[in-house]
This record gives sequence, structure tokens and C-alpha cells, in this order.
Amino acid sequence: MFVNTYFEYHRAFFKLLLPSTLVLSFFSCTEEASIQSYSIPSEYDGPIVSWKLPENWGENPDLSGPMAGSFHIKTKDGPQGRIGVMPFREQVSTVDVANMFGREMGYPTFTESTLAPLIQEKEIGNRTFEWLVLKAKSDPGLSSPRTALLALLRQEGETWLFPFIADQKLVLKESEKFTQFLDSCTLRSAKNKPIIARSPPPKNRAAKPSPPPPPRENPWIWEIPPTWKEGKTSSMRIASLKVADQNGSELDISVTTFPGDVGGLLANVNRWVGQIELSPVNKTSLEKYCKPFTIAGNSGHFIEAYGEKDALLAGALFLEKESWFFKLLGTRDLAEKEKKNFIEFLHSIAPKSNQ
Amino acid sequence: MKNKKSKSSLSQRRKDFSFLLPLASLRLTIALLSLSMILIFVATLEQVRIGIRGALAEYFESFYGIWYYPEKFWGGEILHDIPLPIPGGYLLGGLLIINLTAAYIVRFQWTLKKAGIQLIHLGIILLLIGQLTTQAIQEESRMQINKGDKSNYIERFHGVELAIRDVTNPAEEKVITVPQELLEKGGSYSDKAMPFTVNVLHFGVNCDFDFASAEKSRSPLAKIVNRGVGQSANLNIISKEEDFSSDALNFGHVIFELLDKGESLGKWLSISHPAGNQVWSQISPKLSDMAFQSIRHNGRLWGVALRQEREYLPFSIELLDIENEFYQGTEIPFNFESDVNLHLDENQTRRALVYMNTPLRHGGLTFYQYQMNDAANYSVFQVINNPSWLIPYIACILVSIGMLWQFSFHLVKFLRKNSKSPANA
Repeated sequence: MFVNTYFEYHRAFFKLLLPSTLVLSFFSCTEEASIQSYSIPSEYDGPIVSWKLPENWGENPDLSGPMAGSFHIKTKDGPQGRIGVMPFREQVSTVDVANMFGREMGYPTFTESTLAPLIQEKEIGNRTFEWLVLKAKSDPGLSSPRTALLALLRQEGETWLFPFIADQKLVLKESEKFTQFLDSCTLRSAKNKPIIARSPPPKNRAAKPSPPPPPRENPWIWEIPPTWKEGKTSSMRIASLKVADQNGSELDISVTTFPGDVGGLLANVNRWVGQIELSPVNKTSLEKYCKPFTIAGNSGHFIEAYGEKDALLAGALFLEKESWFFKLLGTRDLAEKEKKNFIEFLHSIAPKSNQ
Repeated sequence: MKNKKSKSSLSQRRKDFSFLLPLASLRLTIALLSLSMILIFVATLEQVRIGIRGALAEYFESFYGIWYYPEKFWGGEILHDIPLPIPGGYLLGGLLIINLTAAYIVRFQWTLKKAGIQLIHLGIILLLIGQLTTQAIQEESRMQINKGDKSNYIERFHGVELAIRDVTNPAEEKVITVPQELLEKGGSYSDKAMPFTVNVLHFGVNCDFDFASAEKSRSPLAKIVNRGVGQSANLNIISKEEDFSSDALNFGHVIFELLDKGESLGKWLSISHPAGNQVWSQISPKLSDMAFQSIRHNGRLWGVALRQEREYLPFSIELLDIENEFYQGTEIPFNFESDVNLHLDENQTRRALVYMNTPLRHGGLTFYQYQMNDAANYSVFQVINNPSWLIPYIACILVSIGMLWQFSFHLVKFLRKNSKSPANA
């Protein structure tokens, strides 16, 4: 009796087994792919900046190099001006930042003493910004010369730079909105460490640039030609040298280093040729100024550009985590005379460990 | 009497399932087994040419494969050009299941005397079903953890996804993923969590890439790109076929356009590194952003990357320590060992040691020790998700019981017969 019932069930089971196996196999093969969306605890450890965008400001979608944000102003003539947000992972001195933009605008190299009168401190919300306005000296004839309004925020070993570059009229017109923009910004540094607003400084403190961090230890050795004289170093300027002749011509030779590739070869060459009033080049015409050059056993570049009055000679080395620039800038005649010395200087560069 | 009953039961089943009679043929079984031997022989030959994964995909994980007689074999000059269809694993396996099941129903007597044979065949049917299910639903992934770190996700060995992440909120990020199947189809995709539409312009499973130069201009494919790393690093890419060899590195790549209300925001290139996108920064600083190409849009920061398809787990694994032992005087690994903490929730932690042939099982996943880099201080687990992993075990138990039953039955019968014989004499 029990055996019969068992076999009845057995038969019924097999009646179902085949069709169900086929149906299941069919459905298991037809799962459709679809877009998934979900939330997870933040894994991103890069810098995050959020803001409220002022009216008539537009955002540039593509961020390159160290930029955490990039904007323009919508005008009837199309997008104009450039506003950026640049987080630096370490302290950058105000002198270095000023020189970075000042050279492009025709200023002589700033020192702490020459820069101090130009620096203001501006309280926006509960933060204090260093405030610097540089008007282009290379366009004296223009009624509205190119202007760089630089706002620097320092917090816990990090520096946030907000450059606003446009013609003077637009900078003046939009400066209120720029202030509102800075006020609306919330900043998070690159290590998941929120930037806490710094308490306002004492009111009676004199406005002066923040002290630069100590210069970085130089990993290179080199031989300096006897005609060159040593100048002052800073956190970015590992070495500073000068050459002058009896006619009053001068050359400024600098060795600088930056984290990352600071925009790459093309961006830097264009910045430098702009300093000697030459037109920028594109990737295909880069070789006009640039050729391969070995520096301290590494593949680098030698840049040579001659403007009407000034000239630029430079060695550029892009290493894995940092870039090194060995640059000579100054009067064309003297630069041509010193070219041989400069190339010998580049050839003499070697890592300190090879001593 | 019993024998009559069982025979009438069999004839009743033959009537009920008459359509199964041709499928239950023993000749069909022999033919299928012979074809299986041919399949194994061909796939073994082909493995030399296209690697294990290629042979699996071409011959075993398909209904049929096309084989070309090797040119170097006798008569190869003539026969090589003739395409020979070979029945695939799915076809032979599926037919064998049907054949065995049909035989079970319309050929076997369901009696206690034959119960052993029934169990053996049921076990073999289960084994075949288990193998087919495993091939259809098993997922193989990897989990890489640096020493001292935790990980709560696994990445598939095969298959990529385009991940679009909103990282504006420092506490939580929103992730939208477009799977490889959709990228292969191309077209436009949108999601309510994403303010833009993704228009897939090109997708490929493998590519060659390098930096374009004055001598070597960008390929027509690379010229489409006008934003992100593809543009800033002046990357040149050329699509190529997937490489199935065991040491192959397949660089999946996608070129896509982002559109906001029909207005183009630009065209980006993203390449997935098979060893994980964290490797890009070690290849070149220019490529480090490939792991996260940032895009600002309407006050929010987004990041895009093509990455190995990822699955987040409800638990995490922390790598406490690793040990890498080699046979003395050689570079042949003797033992890889990972000391891990399995964090189930904030208060519940389980300590485990994962080493060769001793995996960690949790949540339906099995974590096998796969790779290790002692110098770089990281360990990689092969993670298998196979819901049908128990089927082969059950099948083997059934076959064992069936054989025991059958042999015992005959043994008892033989012993009884033997014990009766002297008395008769």
C-alpha cells in the first residue's frame, strides 16, 4: 500500500519535473540587464567643494589639473572670465601664488616686502581670506586691463586658492557676487577631513602675508657657473640665481618644484612664452620651442623661446609625483650669451645620492 | 505477483509518457557519450590555441562550436578550411539530462530490487543538472584588500560597468551603474538619480592604447573624445578582440557623451584596468584620473569610471596580516595565508585564516586565497557565488547510496543462496 502510494507520487513528480526544468532554464537565461542606482558611504577621498552659484555664472564641466571647480560669467558677448577653485595639499606662500600670476601680468618677481602692501585680509562669513588684486602691467593702454583677483584661504596646513581672472570692469562688476560665492562655499579637503572655519584674527593685527613654509630640501646637486649669483629660496623656489651685466640687463634663474604635472608641458610652455609676449602654441607646434633633453638621467625637455626683448630658456622634468622646472628668464641679449652656461648647468644636475 | 505489478506499472508509464520512448534510447546515450568524448578531445586541442577560458566559452558554455581541423595534422592543408560544427556542452549536457530522465521514467522498473540503479541514475541526472546550473549562474569575482584595510565589495573577473558617482555629499555617495550588456548595445541611458543622459558612442572589450605624438596622431576613435583624461593625456586607442589566454589583460573601454536636456556636455573616454583602476596612477600620472574623471554639473561633483562590475556586500573583510611562503631556494609558492576579520556588523566580528584549499564561506560566498603581494602588502581573494554548490555533494551521496544498495542487495542474495546450498545438498 505504502509502496504504491510512493510510486504514484514518484510518477506525478516526473510528470512535473521535465516541464518545470525547461521553464526554469528558460527564465534563468532571460534576465534583462538594467541600470542600477544605489547609495553607499562615501568612498571618495579627493577634495570636495560645494557652492551656491551666483546668478549669470556658469560652470565649466571639465576639470583639469588641480582645479576642484571652474566657472565663467555669462555675458551678452558669451562666456567671459575665469573663476577657479584650487586646493593645495600643503601650505603655499602668498609670494609664490602672487608670482605665479604676477609674471603672467608683467609684474617683476615679488618679494615679501614688495608684496606686503598689496595684501588685504577680508572676512567673509566666519572665514578670513587673503585678498590680492593684480592688474596686468603688460596692457597699460587698455581702459580695462586684465585683472587677477586672488582669494586665499588657509586652514590646517592646506591652502585653497580662488582666482578670478577677467578684464578689470568685469572683476569690479562681479566682485560682490564673487564674495557671495566664497561665502556660500563649503570645503572638504582631500583626506576626508572637513575644513573648519578659522576663528577671525585679532582686529588690530597688521595685514601682512602669511609666513611661507620652510624651503624643501633640495634632492639635486649642480654646478653653478662663476658669473651667477645665488638669491633667496622659498617653499617652491628650491634655488634662485641671478646674472647681470654692465648694461643693466638681468636674468632670473630659478629651480622650482610642484606636486603633479601642474597642467603638463604644453600648459607650462604657453604660460612661459606668454611671459615674453609670444603667442601660445598648440600640441602640434610645441616642438617649435621644445626638444627632448636628459636631465639627471631622466627624460626631460629643453625649452627655448625668444621674444622681442626677453628670452626664456628652461629645462622641464616631469617625474612620477612631481615636476621640476629649471628656468632662465630675462633680457634676450644676455640670455643668448648665457645659453651655453645654462645648458652646462642643466647637464651638471645629478641626484644627491650620486655624490 | 510483485514482478507482474511492477511490469504493469512500467507499461502504464510507457503509455502515459509514450512521447519519451525515443528519447530514452540506449543508443542515444551511447551516441551522446561518444560525442562528449569528441567534444573533450577538440576542446583540449583548442585550449592550446585559445586558452582555457576561450575553450570553455567556445565549446562547453555554448550549444555548438565551429572547429577547424589543425593545419599541421595529416591532410591539414585541405581539411583546415572546412568548418566542422561540434556539439557544445550545453547541447550534449541538456540532451543527456533528457535522455537519462526519459530512461528513468519509461525504461526502469520502480521496484525495491532496482532501487539502487534508480538512485545511481538520479544521482547522475542531478550531477548534470548541477553542472549546467553552475555554468549558468555561478559568478566569479575578486576582492583585493590592502593590509590593515577593509573591503565590502567584490569585482567580477569578466564584465565591466560604467559607474557614475555623485560624491558631493561627504557622508554618502550616490552610484549609478550601466552594465556591460547595455554598453554593448549602445544608445542613450538615463536614470532619475542622474541629471544627465549617457549616450554610449563606442564600447569594446579590449584595446591597445598609448600617448599620441607628433609622429603618431590620434586614431579616428580617439579623435571623438574632447573631455577628460582621453583628451588631456592625448590618448590614442585602437579596439581589438578579447584575448582569452590565461595571462591576458583585457582593457574594456567606452566612449560616451553626456547630455543635459539635449545639450552636449562633452565626450569622454574611460578605460577599465583589469587589475583594478587603482593601478592607473602607477602606470602614468597622466592616467591616474582614469579611476575618477571629475565632472562638475549644477553645483555637484560627479565622477565617472569604467570599472570591473562591482557588487557591494552586507559585510566587510579586514586584512590583518598576510604570509607568503615559498619552497626553500625556489620561487614556487608553498603557502599563501591571509589572517582576516569578518565584520558582520558593528558588534559582531569573526576571525578567520584563509589559505590554499581552506576558503572562508559566508553569506553564500566562498573566499579562496587567490593572489598575494607581500611586498605591496595586499591579498586577493577569488570569490565564488554558486547557489547550486550543494547539488554535486547530494548527487554523489545518492550515487553512493545507490551503489551500496545495489551491491548489498546482490551480496545478500548471493549469501542466502550460498547458505541454502549445503542444506540442499
